[in-house]
Amino acid sequence: MIKFLNPSYLFRLTGKLLNFLKAFIIPIVVLGIIFSLFVSPKDYVQGDAVRIMYVHVPSAWISLLSFAIISFLCILNFIFKFKSVNLIYKSLAPIGLTFNVIAIITGSLWGQPTWGTWWAWDARLTSMLILMFFYIIFIFSYKFILNPERSIKVCTSISVLGLINLIIVKYSVDWWPTLHQPSSINIGRETMVHFSMLIPLGLMLFAFFMYGALIFLMKYRVETIRLKRKGLKKL
Amino acid sequence: MNFDIFLMNGYGVYVWASFLFTFLICLFLFLKTKKTLRKLEKDFVEEAQSLSDEQLQDLKKQKVAKEILISHSRT
Repeated sequence: MIKFLNPSYLFRLTGKLLNFLKAFIIPIVVLGIIFSLFVSPKDYVQGDAVRIMYVHVPSAWISLLSFAIISFLCILNFIFKFKSVNLIYKSLAPIGLTFNVIAIITGSLWGQPTWGTWWAWDARLTSMLILMFFYIIFIFSYKFILNPERSIKVCTSISVLGLINLIIVKYSVDWWPTLHQPSSINIGRETMVHFSMLIPLGLMLFAFFMYGALIFLMKYRVETIRLKRKGLKKL
Repeated sequence: MNFDIFLMNGYGVYVWASFLFTFLICLFLFLKTKKTLRKLEKDFVEEAQSLSDEQLQDLKKQKVAKEILISHSRT
């Protein structure tokens, strides 16, 4: 664990992983798109509109997962003061925000043909919008609070509050009557999505993960070089 | 030519717009990050070159700094 938090080890690892990801990402994305748009069947109720699921659902999942990881790292950093943890969450936050925006916009594009409205102030949609604001406030906090101690405190507070919202996002469809459907894919329970639709969903999720990893590695290098440049001025 | 594959029984505009938006926002983030990375690497190398020989040797002893200098020279 400590080895993986060592900045120089991580930096060298990013170089190797970047080349690997660059080689595989395009074929995976192309395969995912072909399966999503042309191979997978129509839904018997929603028709072709269901294809929006293949970009909407993976984006929403990655956005939620990113914030959960950010919160965990912030708490870890607050307690143990690991050197490179802040580099990791700084690299992760823009990716989470991007996927959050994709989930909201594609959700809106899915809502119009299926619900007859672009937007509704229902619990799931509103909590996802609140998550976007949490991401924005979090990014602004580490960008504009220059005092490192204060930045860690503020970022941890935001991430803990955001974690509460994350629980609301997850259970909003169970706690309140919403336009948004309940979870169709559950860990440890029966999945209501047919296998023929799970394949493109899995492929797109994998493609999005690879893309997220690619951007994360690039962002990590950006943050590390920024840090090293400050050290360069002190030489 | 069969346009049904693009029209998708009237849902095509929503489906294609979703995929296009996703593709464009992902492409934007990728290009923006790549540009920032290249610029920072370039600035780092320029600043490193302005150091004295002794300082440069000290810098090259740092693994990360060495890696930045090598990765920039490859591009």
